[in-house]
Amino acid sequence: MSEFSLYLLQQLINGLTIGSTYALIAIGYTMVYGIIGMINFAHGEIYMIGSYVTFIVIAGLLGMGMVSLPIILIIALVIAIFIASTYGWTVERVAYRPLRGSNRLIPLISAIGMSIFLQNFVVLAQGARDVALPPQITGGWSFGDASSFEVSISYMQMMIFAATFITMTVLTLFISRSRMGRACRACSEDLGMTNLLGIDTNKIIALTFIIGAALAAVAGLLLGLYYGVINPFVGFIAGLKAFTAAVLGGIGSIPGAVLGGLLLGVTEAMTAAFFPAEYKDVVAFGLLVLILLVRPSGLLGKPEVEKV
Amino acid sequence: MNQFRKTVLGLSTAICIMGMSAAAQAETLKIALAGPATGPVAQYGDMQKIGVMAAIEDINAAGGINGMQLEGVIYDDACDPKQAVAVANKIVNDGISHVVGHLCSSSTEPASDIYEEEGILMITAASTSPSITEKGHQMVFRTIGLDSLQGSLAADYIKSVKPKRLAVIHDKQQYGEGLATTVRDSLKGAGIEAAMFEGVTSGDKDFSALIAKLKKEGVDFVYYGGYHPELGLILRQSAEKGFNAQFMGPEGIVNADLAKIAGEAMEGVLATAPKSFDQNPVNQERVERIKAKGEDSTGPFVFTAYAAVEVMTNAMTETNSTDTEKLAEYIRANGVSTAIGDVKYDEKGDLTESTFLVYRLHKDGSKTAAE
Repeated sequence: MSEFSLYLLQQLINGLTIGSTYALIAIGYTMVYGIIGMINFAHGEIYMIGSYVTFIVIAGLLGMGMVSLPIILIIALVIAIFIASTYGWTVERVAYRPLRGSNRLIPLISAIGMSIFLQNFVVLAQGARDVALPPQITGGWSFGDASSFEVSISYMQMMIFAATFITMTVLTLFISRSRMGRACRACSEDLGMTNLLGIDTNKIIALTFIIGAALAAVAGLLLGLYYGVINPFVGFIAGLKAFTAAVLGGIGSIPGAVLGGLLLGVTEAMTAAFFPAEYKDVVAFGLLVLILLVRPSGLLGKPEVEKV
Repeated sequence: MNQFRKTVLGLSTAICIMGMSAAAQAETLKIALAGPATGPVAQYGDMQKIGVMAAIEDINAAGGINGMQLEGVIYDDACDPKQAVAVANKIVNDGISHVVGHLCSSSTEPASDIYEEEGILMITAASTSPSITEKGHQMVFRTIGLDSLQGSLAADYIKSVKPKRLAVIHDKQQYGEGLATTVRDSLKGAGIEAAMFEGVTSGDKDFSALIAKLKKEGVDFVYYGGYHPELGLILRQSAEKGFNAQFMGPEGIVNADLAKIAGEAMEGVLATAPKSFDQNPVNQERVERIKAKGEDSTGPFVFTAYAAVEVMTNAMTETNSTDTEKLAEYIRANGVSTAIGDVKYDEKGDLTESTFLVYRLHKDGSKTAAE
């Protein structure tokens, strides 16, 4: 392969890596929106908490002298998912359920309040500073000619792809095959009707928050390990990017969130590849505006039908 | 400040002084310490705090200034320009008229306008952006050299290294981009053209696209204008991607956290930093007193902050006054002997001599003078 195509391939890999983590977080936004038609602004903070739990557990286990990395990661993943899900459930219980049926703006504000609360809670509990974890998974695989351009994929990047792919598959199967998944789909179609048919919609909504939070925890673990540095404010930017990805793909649609995440990641990487890197956000968000002008409901979103 | 407020301030100062003589020796003089105590660059705020507090303790132990004991009051601006303005207003409200700070140039600049207007004496121990002293402010001084000096020092060093392909990267902030521009321009004058000149977004976490580009361009020397959180990640991700160029940065990267973020990857990174005043034998006792408190004396801003207090208090002793206009006049006209050596000021409030050297950083947090 020529130098140019190798370079292009490298940037594509970089873009897909970051895009798949956007997608993981975006699913949380899109599922909540799909069912109750509201944006969960505290979702980015759940991701941040997932990262913190991962760091604390890994540092703790390493400190206790545990050496087997896979076991450490699995323990960290389980604990992170458990704690993040608890937070996700609590956010729903505290900031959404009491306000159900009220004006749509009110839960929006309470979610923003929740987001600020969680951010400051972590600042107070863990300090406002950057927390760093030394690289745990090092090394990688590279190909291409060292004299022209060598494409490298780190094991960490491969792990991110694999984890994202597995999580997506499990989620898709859950939504399309299980009873609970069917109830979720029913809720997203018509919440009131589903309730009339004897399904406990409150339970389904809580479940949606829990699933979203669990995925955010997976993203928190992966990105925490990949970048190695977190602070209580990482949830804001990550949340914003993921929200963008969800809107880009069509908010409410799970495949849309995945597509939007990957598209956003690849656009950023390609912009940085061929233009000065400072333009990457300009181009990525310009693309968002452009797509929404042409397709206001996003790439895979269903056009809003006026309900009578 | 308008005439009326000046009169009111004068009157209230007079009342304070009268009250003071009545209250005798127990009076304290408050010095505000403004800088980041939280946020991503809070470590630098710590350095400043360690230096200021050490200076205040030493001066108080020696009997204080004009019979007054000093007291340091900490204000947190989180290195955020908006918060810096709020902090400056709070300092005005709290009636403090001597400030050491701020730390980040982008915070110091808006805050300095307020201090100038309110007649508050400000000495920054860390802000290196030239534009701070270019407004003709009378109340603004520093105990650290300028970006332009630091940039040209870095450029001179790069000239001597003669890299094959040079890239200049910055974080688009006043401090980082200012330095990066100086480095690029002074090298262009010497016939070394930067192959890349690009900004990254501060707070960004993923630099893989940038690194792939540096690799493709065959860059072997990168100058980074900015702070350690981004450079740390760039170094860490470069090592993972097999990109091994020599990196160089300003004193904003000299910090133990660089090693925490980047690990092994930061070994041998070059940086321009204020001279290691803690290694100067004249500061031996001061260093020991700081260490005895369990604090770190090696940060680049510890002794510049110490000196900032000294410049103020020395002027107070010499003029036997705390009136900021008199102090500013005295400081501008006379040199002061401090922990960072004898300092002299030009009309703008800048040091007449640069205090920077090129260092090579090591993963244990130490630094050695670069060859």
